[in-house]
Amino acid sequence: MARKWLLLFVLGVIAVLMAAPLVLTVFTSLKPTTELVNPAWYPPQELTFDHYVRVWTDGGFSGYFVNTLIISVVDAIVMILIASLAAYAMVFMEFRGKMLLQLLFVLGLMIPVTAVVLPLFQIVRSLGLLNSHLGVIFADLALAVSVFVFMFTSYFAGVPKALHEAARIDGATEFQIYRRVVMPIATPAVVTTALLEFLWSWNDLLLRLLLMTRDEMRTLSVGLLNFQGTMTRDVTGLSSGTAIMAIPVVLLFLVFQRSFVRGMTAGAVK
Amino acid sequence: MRLDPNSKLAQRLNPVLFLFPALSIYIVFALYPTVSVIEYSFTDWDGISPKRNYIGLENYRKMFSDKIFWEAFRNTFVWSGVILVINVGLGLVIAAMLARVWKARLLIQTCIVLPVVISPMAVATIWRWMYQPKGVINQVLDGVGLDALTRPWLGDPSVVLYALAFAHSWSTIGLSVIIFLAGLQAVDEDLYEASKVDGATPLQQFRYVTMTALRPVTAVVFILTLTQSFKVFDIVWTTTQGGPIRFSEILSTYMYKRGALENDYGYGSAIGVALLVIVSFATIIYLQIQNRKDQ
Repeated sequence: MARKWLLLFVLGVIAVLMAAPLVLTVFTSLKPTTELVNPAWYPPQELTFDHYVRVWTDGGFSGYFVNTLIISVVDAIVMILIASLAAYAMVFMEFRGKMLLQLLFVLGLMIPVTAVVLPLFQIVRSLGLLNSHLGVIFADLALAVSVFVFMFTSYFAGVPKALHEAARIDGATEFQIYRRVVMPIATPAVVTTALLEFLWSWNDLLLRLLLMTRDEMRTLSVGLLNFQGTMTRDVTGLSSGTAIMAIPVVLLFLVFQRSFVRGMTAGAVK
Repeated sequence: MRLDPNSKLAQRLNPVLFLFPALSIYIVFALYPTVSVIEYSFTDWDGISPKRNYIGLENYRKMFSDKIFWEAFRNTFVWSGVILVINVGLGLVIAAMLARVWKARLLIQTCIVLPVVISPMAVATIWRWMYQPKGVINQVLDGVGLDALTRPWLGDPSVVLYALAFAHSWSTIGLSVIIFLAGLQAVDEDLYEASKVDGATPLQQFRYVTMTALRPVTAVVFILTLTQSFKVFDIVWTTTQGGPIRFSEILSTYMYKRGALENDYGYGSAIGVALLVIVSFATIIYLQIQNRKDQ
């Protein structure tokens, strides 16, 4: 019995230490500047949202937020479409070169974004897509699509072939079968894809740093980096900026924890 | 016009239509850059001028005799080593403890996994603030009488790499814990009962039952952590940019400096290829293990 409590105590300490950096950041973001002389672990005596307002308006975070949201939402929706369509073809259709295609997508699991950013920049520039949402979206999709094609493939493989055959005999087109029969069964894969792609897109820095050079196109990650560069000593501003960036994904995580955990385990290779 | 879904034409056309969106984006924005990075690595291109000359293996020769490249190479391995010890070692211990607890389990798990969804940029901002000379870490050390240990964590050449690796581990260990937990659920409960009857201590149970049963999962977490730590760019770039001097320079930051900032595109690409080779190799091993596990 005592051993159980000891275990719980140790885990409790670990949990508190893991949560501390986030909690302290939120504390700081809510403190009036006069309270900054206190140690960081003092909770704010008086709550103020001034720093959030300041960063949101003067700091330009409202614009960064909108840019990030647009890119992440489009990324997630388009990813569901293209990955599921491709996976459908891989599972339910017969065509030549299927093995080769599979191999090609496996290759995508191995390409680290970091290693290919230099030529990627050249391609996006030569297509005239620098400083556009579209350029970043294409790059995001391309570099993660493999993960989700395999995620959908493993889901579709579990759909009874007889179901597909029956629909075919009834005269349904492949697209009708995809939309009405197969996709409704694959809802968990759809949710996981949406969450994971949204998260990756929301959090990425490198691609956005390289492909978005104009301030009005910037996303939260680049905005925060810039803010950190110019306002190094603005501790309250930095912590509220960090919180603004973290709050949406933290909320998503808390609501969809199970799907997230499942997805992160499956998509961990990225 | 409506095409008969069973016609020969439809059966040929359908795969093309279904695959086109994913495949076209994938080829243009992922495969083509990968081929290009290899091609650029054989040139002296500066990234801007229309002219580029093929110079064979010159960039690679330069790379192998570049002292800074080897420093970055060494740093990348030290960096990965620290992260491996924390994420695999501590991750396994935390998961094993968590699996034995029912009260407050979800709350504890949430605290541990939550940092995984925080963006590396936000992680960098948080830890940069905590590592400041007058930051939280030093305040705490002062408070408990360990003021001898206080230092400017990101400014001290001897600890900066470890300090950043620790921050990265904070934000990624949750993933290892989840994967270990999933593995632990598959461990036969009878094994624990049997070992208890045989008089095994909890430590022996951990050593002989848990660790043996989890060997394949441990391999997965190991390789996964390794590949992920090799790819890291954000957290180092946004805190120290590889500094002070070059004490936290890793391959990705060095590549970015040479390729994107100093316009030494060909050379930067060669470093990119080195990164590509290392990560691909590790990923192949990972996929192999995963495959064997599924069968």
